[in-house]
Amino acid sequence: MRIGSSGRLIIAGSIAALALSTASVSAHHSFAAFDMSKQQTITGVVSRFDWTNPHTFIWVDVVNDKGVTETWAIEGMSPNYLGRRGWSKTSVKPGDKITVSIRPLKEGKTGGMFIRAQIGDRVLMPTGAPTDER
Amino acid sequence: MRLVIGAAMALALAAQQKAPALKVPTEADWTAIAKLPDFTGVWEQTFGGGGRGAARGRAGGPPAGPQLTAAYAAKRQALVSKGAEDKDTANCLPPGMPGIMGQPYPMEFLLTPGQVTIVIEAYSQVRHIYTDGRPLPEDPEERFFGTSIGHWENGTLVAETVGFSPLTELAPNVPHSEKMKIVERFRLTDPDTMSIETTITDPEALTAPFTSTRTLRRHRAWTIAEYICEENNRNSVDANGKAAINIKK
Repeated sequence: MRIGSSGRLIIAGSIAALALSTASVSAHHSFAAFDMSKQQTITGVVSRFDWTNPHTFIWVDVVNDKGVTETWAIEGMSPNYLGRRGWSKTSVKPGDKITVSIRPLKEGKTGGMFIRAQIGDRVLMPTGAPTDER
Repeated sequence: MRLVIGAAMALALAAQQKAPALKVPTEADWTAIAKLPDFTGVWEQTFGGGGRGAARGRAGGPPAGPQLTAAYAAKRQALVSKGAEDKDTANCLPPGMPGIMGQPYPMEFLLTPGQVTIVIEAYSQVRHIYTDGRPLPEDPEERFFGTSIGHWENGTLVAETVGFSPLTELAPNVPHSEKMKIVERFRLTDPDTMSIETTITDPEALTAPFTSTRTLRRHRAWTIAEYICEENNRNSVDANGKAAINIKK
Protein backbone atom coordinates (compact mmCIF):
# COMPACT_ATOMS: atom_id res chain seq x y z
CA MET A 1 0.00 0.00 0.00
CA ARG A 2 1.21 3.49 -0.85
CA ILE A 3 2.01 5.67 2.10
CA GLY A 4 0.76 9.21 1.72
CA SER A 5 -2.36 11.28 1.71
CA SER A 6 -4.12 9.17 -0.92
CA GLY A 7 -3.23 5.99 0.95
CA ARG A 8 -4.65 7.48 4.08
CA LEU A 9 -7.84 8.29 2.21
CA ILE A 10 -8.26 4.70 1.13
CA ILE A 11 -7.75 3.51 4.69
CA ALA A 12 -10.28 6.03 5.99
CA GLY A 13 -12.77 4.81 3.40
CA SER A 14 -12.25 1.20 4.39
CA ILE A 15 -12.73 2.01 8.05
CA ALA A 16 -15.95 3.88 7.30
CA ALA A 17 -17.24 0.92 5.31
CA LEU A 18 -16.22 -1.44 8.06
CA ALA A 19 -17.88 0.69 10.72
CA LEU A 20 -21.09 0.47 8.72
CA SER A 21 -20.80 -3.25 8.21
CA THR A 22 -19.83 -4.01 11.78
CA ALA A 23 -22.70 -1.92 13.14
CA SER A 24 -25.06 -4.11 11.20
CA VAL A 25 -23.44 -7.40 12.09
CA SER A 26 -23.53 -6.40 15.75
CA ALA A 27 -27.29 -6.62 15.77
CA HIS A 28 -27.04 -10.39 15.92
CA HIS A 29 -23.73 -11.09 17.62
CA SER A 30 -20.60 -9.41 18.96
CA PHE A 31 -17.10 -9.47 17.47
CA ALA A 32 -15.65 -11.48 20.34
CA ALA A 33 -14.69 -14.37 18.06
CA PHE A 34 -12.76 -12.10 15.67
CA ASP A 35 -9.47 -10.26 16.06
CA MET A 36 -10.68 -6.80 15.09
CA SER A 37 -7.14 -5.38 15.32
CA LYS A 38 -5.96 -7.55 12.43
CA GLN A 39 -6.67 -7.64 8.74
CA GLN A 40 -5.65 -10.58 6.62
CA THR A 41 -6.01 -11.45 2.95
CA ILE A 42 -6.49 -14.99 1.73
CA THR A 43 -6.68 -16.36 -1.82
CA GLY A 44 -8.24 -19.64 -2.81
CA VAL A 45 -11.06 -21.39 -4.60
CA VAL A 46 -14.68 -21.19 -3.44
CA SER A 47 -16.11 -24.58 -2.52
CA ARG A 48 -19.52 -23.36 -1.27
CA PHE A 49 -21.51 -20.16 -0.74
CA ASP A 50 -24.14 -20.23 2.03
CA TRP A 51 -26.75 -17.60 1.07
CA THR A 52 -28.41 -18.01 4.46
CA ASN A 53 -29.57 -16.15 7.54
CA PRO A 54 -28.41 -14.88 9.88
CA HIS A 55 -25.13 -14.71 7.94
CA THR A 56 -23.72 -15.66 4.61
CA PHE A 57 -20.65 -17.88 4.58
CA ILE A 58 -18.09 -18.18 1.82
CA TRP A 59 -16.15 -21.44 2.10
CA VAL A 60 -12.72 -21.21 0.49
CA ASP A 61 -10.08 -23.89 -0.12
CA VAL A 62 -6.72 -22.24 0.57
CA VAL A 63 -3.37 -23.93 0.01
CA ASN A 64 -1.16 -22.96 2.95
CA ASP A 65 2.62 -22.45 2.84
CA LYS A 66 3.15 -26.15 3.58
CA GLY A 67 1.18 -27.10 0.49
CA VAL A 68 -1.76 -28.36 2.54
CA THR A 69 -5.31 -27.33 1.54
CA GLU A 70 -7.24 -25.71 4.39
CA THR A 71 -10.95 -24.89 4.54
CA TRP A 72 -11.61 -21.24 5.40
CA ALA A 73 -15.04 -20.00 6.56
CA ILE A 74 -15.74 -16.34 5.84
CA GLU A 75 -18.75 -14.88 7.62
CA GLY A 76 -20.56 -12.05 5.86
CA MET A 77 -23.71 -10.00 6.19
CA SER A 78 -27.14 -11.59 5.81
CA PRO A 79 -28.69 -12.28 2.41
CA ASN A 80 -31.46 -9.84 3.38
CA TYR A 81 -28.96 -7.04 3.87
CA LEU A 82 -26.70 -7.89 0.94
CA GLY A 83 -29.58 -8.70 -1.41
CA ARG A 84 -30.80 -5.10 -1.13
CA ARG A 85 -27.29 -3.87 -1.96
CA GLY A 86 -26.57 -5.57 -5.22
CA TRP A 87 -25.51 -9.04 -4.13
CA SER A 88 -27.35 -12.22 -5.11
CA LYS A 89 -27.12 -15.93 -4.39
CA THR A 90 -24.83 -16.21 -7.42
CA SER A 91 -22.45 -13.37 -6.48
CA VAL A 92 -20.06 -16.06 -5.31
CA LYS A 93 -20.00 -19.48 -6.98
CA PRO A 94 -18.20 -22.74 -6.32
CA GLY A 95 -15.05 -22.81 -8.44
CA ASP A 96 -14.55 -19.02 -8.31
CA LYS A 97 -10.97 -17.99 -7.60
CA ILE A 98 -11.37 -15.44 -4.83
CA THR A 99 -9.20 -13.05 -2.83
CA VAL A 100 -10.84 -12.02 0.44
CA SER A 101 -9.85 -9.50 3.10
CA ILE A 102 -11.02 -10.53 6.54
CA ARG A 103 -10.83 -9.88 10.26
CA PRO A 104 -9.37 -13.26 11.19
CA LEU A 105 -10.80 -15.51 13.87
CA LYS A 106 -8.84 -15.59 17.09
CA GLU A 107 -6.64 -18.55 18.05
CA GLY A 108 -5.47 -19.05 14.49
CA LYS A 109 -8.68 -20.69 13.33
CA THR A 110 -9.18 -20.76 9.58
CA GLY A 111 -11.95 -18.23 9.21
CA GLY A 112 -12.88 -14.61 9.62
CA MET A 113 -15.30 -11.79 9.05
CA PHE A 114 -15.72 -10.52 5.51
CA ILE A 115 -14.36 -7.07 4.68
CA ARG A 116 -14.13 -7.18 0.88
CA ALA A 117 -13.41 -9.65 -1.88
CA GLN A 118 -12.29 -9.76 -5.47
CA ILE A 119 -13.35 -12.36 -8.03
CA GLY A 120 -11.76 -11.62 -11.40
CA ASP A 121 -12.66 -8.01 -12.17
CA ARG A 122 -15.51 -7.89 -9.67
CA VAL A 123 -15.06 -6.29 -6.27
CA LEU A 124 -17.54 -7.32 -3.60
CA MET A 125 -18.10 -4.96 -0.70
CA PRO A 126 -20.33 -5.59 2.34
CA THR A 127 -22.10 -2.31 1.65
CA GLY A 128 -22.59 -3.17 -2.00
CA ALA A 129 -21.23 0.29 -2.75
CA PRO A 130 -19.53 0.66 -6.12
CA THR A 131 -15.78 0.84 -5.82
CA ASP A 132 -12.85 1.44 -8.12
CA GLU A 133 -10.37 -0.04 -5.67
CA ARG A 134 -8.38 -2.73 -7.38
CA MET B 1 -54.58 -36.41 33.05
CA ARG B 2 -57.75 -35.36 31.25
CA LEU B 3 -58.66 -33.22 34.22
CA VAL B 4 -55.30 -31.47 34.06
CA ILE B 5 -55.66 -30.83 30.33
CA GLY B 6 -59.21 -29.65 30.85
CA ALA B 7 -58.11 -27.26 33.58
CA ALA B 8 -55.28 -25.97 31.42
CA MET B 9 -57.68 -25.38 28.54
CA ALA B 10 -60.08 -23.54 30.82
CA LEU B 11 -57.24 -21.34 32.03
CA ALA B 12 -56.10 -20.68 28.48
CA LEU B 13 -59.66 -19.79 27.52
CA ALA B 14 -59.94 -17.42 30.48
CA ALA B 15 -56.69 -15.73 29.44
CA GLN B 16 -58.01 -15.41 25.89
CA GLN B 17 -61.23 -13.89 27.08
CA LYS B 18 -59.40 -11.19 29.04
CA ALA B 19 -58.39 -9.47 25.79
CA PRO B 20 -61.33 -7.70 24.16
CA ALA B 21 -62.36 -8.93 20.72
CA LEU B 22 -61.80 -6.66 17.73
CA LYS B 23 -65.20 -5.53 16.45
CA VAL B 24 -66.32 -6.54 12.99
CA PRO B 25 -65.05 -3.77 10.68
CA THR B 26 -67.57 -1.72 8.75
CA GLU B 27 -67.08 0.14 5.49
CA ALA B 28 -66.83 3.33 7.56
CA ASP B 29 -63.95 1.80 9.56
CA TRP B 30 -62.02 1.11 6.37
CA THR B 31 -62.83 4.58 5.02
CA ALA B 32 -61.50 6.12 8.23
CA ILE B 33 -58.15 4.41 7.66
CA ALA B 34 -57.80 6.16 4.30
CA LYS B 35 -57.79 9.47 6.17
CA LEU B 36 -54.86 8.47 8.42
CA PRO B 37 -51.25 9.23 7.46
CA ASP B 38 -49.94 6.68 4.97
CA PHE B 39 -47.62 4.47 7.01
CA THR B 40 -47.93 1.57 4.57
CA GLY B 41 -44.90 -0.05 3.02
CA VAL B 42 -41.41 -0.99 4.08
CA TRP B 43 -39.22 1.27 6.17
CA GLU B 44 -35.62 1.09 7.34
CA GLN B 45 -33.63 3.20 9.73
CA THR B 46 -31.36 5.70 8.08
CA PHE B 47 -27.63 5.25 8.28
CA GLY B 48 -25.18 8.02 9.15
CA GLY B 49 -25.73 10.71 11.70
CA GLY B 50 -26.44 8.66 14.76
CA GLY B 51 -24.84 5.58 13.23
CA ARG B 52 -27.41 3.36 11.48
CA GLY B 53 -30.11 5.60 12.88
CA ALA B 54 -29.19 4.69 16.41
CA ALA B 55 -31.38 6.18 19.06
CA ARG B 56 -30.33 9.76 19.62
CA GLY B 57 -30.88 12.27 22.35
CA ARG B 58 -33.49 14.96 21.99
CA ALA B 59 -31.20 17.68 20.65
CA GLY B 60 -29.93 15.43 17.86
CA GLY B 61 -26.58 15.22 19.61
CA PRO B 62 -24.79 12.08 20.73
CA PRO B 63 -26.90 9.34 22.27
CA ALA B 64 -27.96 10.28 25.76
CA GLY B 65 -27.91 7.29 28.07
CA PRO B 66 -30.66 6.40 30.50
CA GLN B 67 -30.36 7.98 33.95
CA LEU B 68 -30.37 5.04 36.32
CA THR B 69 -31.39 4.79 39.95
CA ALA B 70 -28.61 3.66 42.30
CA ALA B 71 -30.09 0.16 42.46
CA TYR B 72 -30.16 -0.23 38.67
CA ALA B 73 -26.78 1.42 38.19
CA ALA B 74 -25.47 -1.35 40.46
CA LYS B 75 -27.30 -3.99 38.42
CA ARG B 76 -25.82 -2.56 35.25
CA GLN B 77 -22.33 -2.51 36.77
CA ALA B 78 -22.72 -6.13 37.87
CA LEU B 79 -23.66 -7.15 34.32
CA VAL B 80 -20.79 -5.17 32.80
CA SER B 81 -18.36 -6.71 35.30
CA LYS B 82 -19.42 -10.21 34.26
CA GLY B 83 -17.85 -9.32 30.93
CA ALA B 84 -20.08 -11.51 28.77
CA GLU B 85 -18.62 -11.64 25.27
CA ASP B 86 -22.03 -11.72 23.64
CA LYS B 87 -25.78 -11.63 24.16
CA ASP B 88 -28.47 -14.25 23.73
CA THR B 89 -29.25 -12.83 20.28
CA ALA B 90 -26.13 -14.76 19.19
CA ASN B 91 -28.18 -17.87 20.04
CA CYS B 92 -31.07 -16.44 17.98
CA LEU B 93 -33.16 -15.26 20.93
CA PRO B 94 -34.97 -12.13 19.66
CA PRO B 95 -34.21 -9.02 21.71
CA GLY B 96 -37.86 -8.00 22.31
CA MET B 97 -38.75 -4.42 23.20
CA PRO B 98 -37.29 -1.90 22.89
CA GLY B 99 -34.25 -3.43 21.16
CA ILE B 100 -36.21 -5.02 18.30
CA MET B 101 -37.06 -1.52 17.01
CA GLY B 102 -33.37 -0.70 16.59
CA GLN B 103 -32.29 -3.49 14.25
CA PRO B 104 -30.50 -2.84 10.95
CA TYR B 105 -33.37 -4.44 9.03
CA PRO B 106 -36.59 -3.00 7.61
CA MET B 107 -40.10 -3.17 9.01
CA GLU B 108 -43.52 -2.93 7.39
CA PHE B 109 -46.56 -1.12 8.79
CA LEU B 110 -50.07 -2.47 8.20
CA LEU B 111 -53.13 -0.43 9.13
CA THR B 112 -56.42 -2.30 9.55
CA PRO B 113 -59.52 -1.38 11.56
CA GLY B 114 -58.67 -1.40 15.26
CA GLN B 115 -54.96 -2.16 15.00
CA VAL B 116 -51.59 -1.27 13.61
CA THR B 117 -49.35 -4.23 12.85
CA ILE B 118 -45.59 -3.92 12.51
CA VAL B 119 -43.90 -6.73 10.60
CA ILE B 120 -40.26 -6.68 11.68
CA GLU B 121 -37.80 -8.45 9.41
CA ALA B 122 -35.13 -9.03 12.08
CA TYR B 123 -35.82 -12.44 13.64
CA SER B 124 -39.17 -12.49 11.70
CA GLN B 125 -41.11 -10.73 14.44
CA VAL B 126 -44.54 -9.09 14.60
CA ARG B 127 -45.92 -6.37 16.91
CA HIS B 128 -49.62 -5.62 17.35
CA ILE B 129 -50.76 -2.18 18.49
CA TYR B 130 -54.50 -2.13 19.25
CA THR B 131 -56.16 1.17 18.32
CA ASP B 132 -59.75 0.13 19.07
CA GLY B 133 -59.97 2.03 22.33
CA ARG B 134 -59.30 -0.86 24.68
CA PRO B 135 -57.40 0.02 27.88
CA LEU B 136 -53.95 -1.25 28.79
CA PRO B 137 -54.18 -4.44 30.87
CA GLU B 138 -53.90 -3.81 34.61
CA ASP B 139 -51.95 -6.98 35.25
CA PRO B 140 -50.20 -7.62 31.91
CA GLU B 141 -48.49 -10.82 30.83
CA GLU B 142 -44.71 -10.53 30.64
CA ARG B 143 -43.94 -10.63 26.94
CA PHE B 144 -40.99 -9.83 24.68
CA PHE B 145 -43.06 -7.12 22.98
CA GLY B 146 -45.28 -6.29 25.95
CA THR B 147 -48.91 -5.43 25.29
CA SER B 148 -49.52 -2.34 23.14
CA ILE B 149 -52.44 0.01 22.63
CA GLY B 150 -52.42 3.10 20.45
CA HIS B 151 -54.35 6.17 19.43
CA TRP B 152 -53.96 8.93 16.86
CA GLU B 153 -53.16 12.52 17.81
CA ASN B 154 -53.19 14.86 14.77
CA GLY B 155 -51.47 12.40 12.48
CA THR B 156 -49.18 10.92 15.14
CA LEU B 157 -49.67 7.34 16.25
CA VAL B 158 -49.06 7.23 19.99
CA ALA B 159 -48.42 3.69 21.20
CA GLU B 160 -48.23 2.73 24.86
CA THR B 161 -46.72 -0.58 25.86
CA VAL B 162 -46.49 -2.35 29.22
CA GLY B 163 -45.61 -5.81 30.53
CA PHE B 164 -42.19 -7.00 29.40
CA SER B 165 -40.33 -10.26 29.71
CA PRO B 166 -37.38 -10.13 32.12
CA LEU B 167 -35.33 -11.40 29.18
CA THR B 168 -35.61 -7.98 27.49
CA GLU B 169 -33.38 -5.03 28.36
CA LEU B 170 -34.23 -1.36 28.87
CA ALA B 171 -30.86 -0.52 27.28
CA PRO B 172 -27.64 -2.51 26.78
CA ASN B 173 -26.80 -4.16 30.12
CA VAL B 174 -29.70 -2.38 31.82
CA PRO B 175 -32.54 -4.60 33.05
CA HIS B 176 -36.02 -3.20 33.62
CA SER B 177 -38.57 -3.59 36.39
CA GLU B 178 -42.08 -4.91 35.84
CA LYS B 179 -43.17 -1.26 35.86
CA MET B 180 -41.35 -0.29 32.65
CA LYS B 181 -43.61 1.54 30.21
CA ILE B 182 -42.71 2.54 26.65
CA VAL B 183 -44.47 5.32 24.75
CA GLU B 184 -43.70 5.62 21.05
CA ARG B 185 -44.77 8.50 18.83
CA PHE B 186 -44.78 7.56 15.13
CA ARG B 187 -45.22 10.37 12.60
CA LEU B 188 -44.31 11.30 9.04
CA THR B 189 -41.90 14.22 8.80
CA ASP B 190 -42.06 14.17 4.99
CA PRO B 191 -43.85 11.79 2.60
CA ASP B 192 -41.20 9.06 2.88
CA THR B 193 -39.59 9.81 6.25
CA MET B 194 -40.88 8.56 9.58
CA SER B 195 -39.81 9.69 13.02
CA ILE B 196 -40.23 7.41 16.02
CA GLU B 197 -39.75 9.14 19.34
CA THR B 198 -39.48 6.56 22.13
CA THR B 199 -39.85 7.46 25.78
CA ILE B 200 -39.19 4.84 28.44
CA THR B 201 -40.30 5.30 32.03
CA ASP B 202 -39.54 2.91 34.86
CA PRO B 203 -39.93 4.20 38.42
CA GLU B 204 -37.57 1.53 39.77
CA ALA B 205 -34.84 1.72 37.12
CA LEU B 206 -34.88 5.34 35.92
CA THR B 207 -34.69 8.69 37.68
CA ALA B 208 -36.03 10.47 34.58
CA PRO B 209 -37.83 9.44 31.39
CA PHE B 210 -35.39 8.16 28.75
CA THR B 211 -36.25 9.58 25.33
CA SER B 212 -34.61 8.80 22.00
CA THR B 213 -35.58 9.34 18.37
CA ARG B 214 -35.07 7.20 15.29
CA THR B 215 -35.52 8.19 11.65
CA LEU B 216 -36.74 5.72 9.02
CA ARG B 217 -36.89 5.98 5.22
CA ARG B 218 -39.61 4.35 3.14
CA HIS B 219 -38.39 1.99 0.40
CA ARG B 220 -41.27 1.58 -2.03
CA ALA B 221 -39.54 -1.13 -4.04
CA TRP B 222 -38.68 -3.33 -1.04
CA THR B 223 -40.56 -6.25 0.42
CA ILE B 224 -39.97 -7.88 3.79
CA ALA B 225 -37.82 -10.98 3.52
CA GLU B 226 -37.81 -13.95 5.84
CA TYR B 227 -35.17 -14.08 8.57
CA ILE B 228 -34.97 -17.52 10.09
CA CYS B 229 -32.11 -17.07 12.52
CA GLU B 230 -31.80 -20.81 13.12
CA GLU B 231 -31.31 -21.48 9.39
CA ASN B 232 -27.51 -21.36 9.57
CA ASN B 233 -26.54 -19.76 12.85
CA ARG B 234 -22.92 -20.57 13.57
CA ASN B 235 -22.46 -18.02 16.35
CA SER B 236 -23.28 -18.76 19.96
CA VAL B 237 -22.73 -17.68 23.53
CA ASP B 238 -22.74 -20.03 26.53
CA ALA B 239 -24.13 -19.51 30.04
CA ASN B 240 -20.79 -18.05 31.17
CA GLY B 241 -20.89 -15.44 28.41
CA LYS B 242 -18.20 -17.11 26.29
CA ALA B 243 -18.76 -16.49 22.59
CA ALA B 244 -17.99 -19.11 19.96
CA ILE B 245 -18.28 -19.68 16.23
CA ASN B 246 -18.78 -23.02 14.53
CA ILE B 247 -16.70 -23.28 11.36
CA LYS B 248 -17.28 -26.98 10.74
CA LYS B 249 -18.30 -27.10 7.10
